Amino acid sequence: MSDHLSHSMLNGLADGELSADQLAVANEHLAGCPACTSNALYQSLLKSATAKAGQRYTPPPHLQERLTRLASRSEAPGTGTGHRYPQQWRFGWGWVAAAVLLLVSASTMLLQRTTRKTELASAEHAALVTEVFDQHVATLAGSLPPQVVSTDRHTVKPWFQGKLPFSFNLPEGLPRDTTLDGANLTYLHNQPVAQLLYSIGKHRVSVFVREKAGGASTDEAPAEHAGFHVMGFGTGDLEGVAVSDVDPARLAELVSEIRGAQTGR
Amino acid sequence: MTLLPWKRTVRESGPQTSAFEDLALPLLPSLYNVAFWLSRNPPDAEDLVQETFLKALRGFATFEPGSNFRAWIFRILRNTYLTSRTGLAAMRTVALEDELDDRNASGSALYPEGAIDRKTPEKNLIRLSDRAALQAAMEKLPPPLLEVILLCDVEEMKYREIATVLEIPIGTVMSRIARARTALRAELQVNVTPREFRA
Repeated sequence: MSDHLSHSMLNGLADGELSADQLAVANEHLAGCPACTSNALYQSLLKSATAKAGQRYTPPPHLQERLTRLASRSEAPGTGTGHRYPQQWRFGWGWVAAAVLLLVSASTMLLQRTTRKTELASAEHAALVTEVFDQHVATLAGSLPPQVVSTDRHTVKPWFQGKLPFSFNLPEGLPRDTTLDGANLTYLHNQPVAQLLYSIGKHRVSVFVREKAGGASTDEAPAEHAGFHVMGFGTGDLEGVAVSDVDPARLAELVSEIRGAQTGR
Repeated sequence: MTLLPWKRTVRESGPQTSAFEDLALPLLPSLYNVAFWLSRNPPDAEDLVQETFLKALRGFATFEPGSNFRAWIFRILRNTYLTSRTGLAAMRTVALEDELDDRNASGSALYPEGAIDRKTPEKNLIRLSDRAALQAAMEKLPPPLLEVILLCDVEEMKYREIATVLEIPIGTVMSRIARARTALRAELQVNVTPREFRA
């Protein structure tokens, strides 16, 4: 058994995490043990060297700008910078100038707000696509079967009863080579969603169906993400997004069937 | 079950966005740095930070003012990383290794006392000044050890804070820090030997 200070004591010492009692014991030992003193010194130097070496990457300016705009996208009421007009503007022309100035300011603010909203919507949509894609890849990579395994829509749909605050329909007929594999209850942007799992040939498809929310909405236009196709759709109170590496035309056929099932087509 | 401080209550009116801006923007360099270390490439790091900001902004109404905002947003970053493509791949690769790291098959510690060269501290000290060597050694750490060393040494978080961010017990934080530093020391010592022989 070693009489030297343990690794956890040395680390605690370097990190300033020792209690007063532990610190007293450590100091007493260090006073008579050159090896541990050297080791403690090394541990402290390693910590400070790691701190310096770890400060390696700085955010690019465009990211800083984008996130600054994002963070300040909706200014609190009453916190805006007000314009202070000089008191001597009491003549008619002064009022006209003030009115013009106000008009220009209002237009600029409106334009900025619209731009910010567009940017936010675009960023939120990109985040949604990324999240959907990650969930799909996680499903493909996972070794666990779906939470409900069935090719029968009358088994899959009732499974969500009590699990989701909405209901949806599954299409009776599916396009050629397409089968329902099952479904999972999952979350997108902290909202419960149904993840319907289909196979088109050997390609796996995830279709996420959720209640329409005020946040990021699914874009109807097909998108590409890391070689996968992402296709959104919306019907009434529901919206969905499908993701797969299958041919986009075949994915569109499935999306069309699911959309049709919601509208009773 | 104890609720986390920031989840204790949901206020009826959320805090002002300017408060979020004031709290979050100064942390952007730290968040990006950690995101880059974990994801290892600029586009993924940017995606990770942006998604973290969006999630934090959306959930800011549930954040308890006065509690630890840094731990809260770093936890969002870490959870977002875990569900990302790179995070899933990285964590899956090291999961088994991570479990086995503490002890080998014979039950003895993987990094025994002898792994640390106590007799040649001057060599080790010289090696510490080689920033590139240390960064290379950090790059070789598995993600669970790298993230703990980044939070502890680079972000200067306390063990309790790290435990909150990583959702692990403090004991696990301590053992991971010990393993990470032992691995760094071992890596720096391994790399120093060939240079001496060449000389």
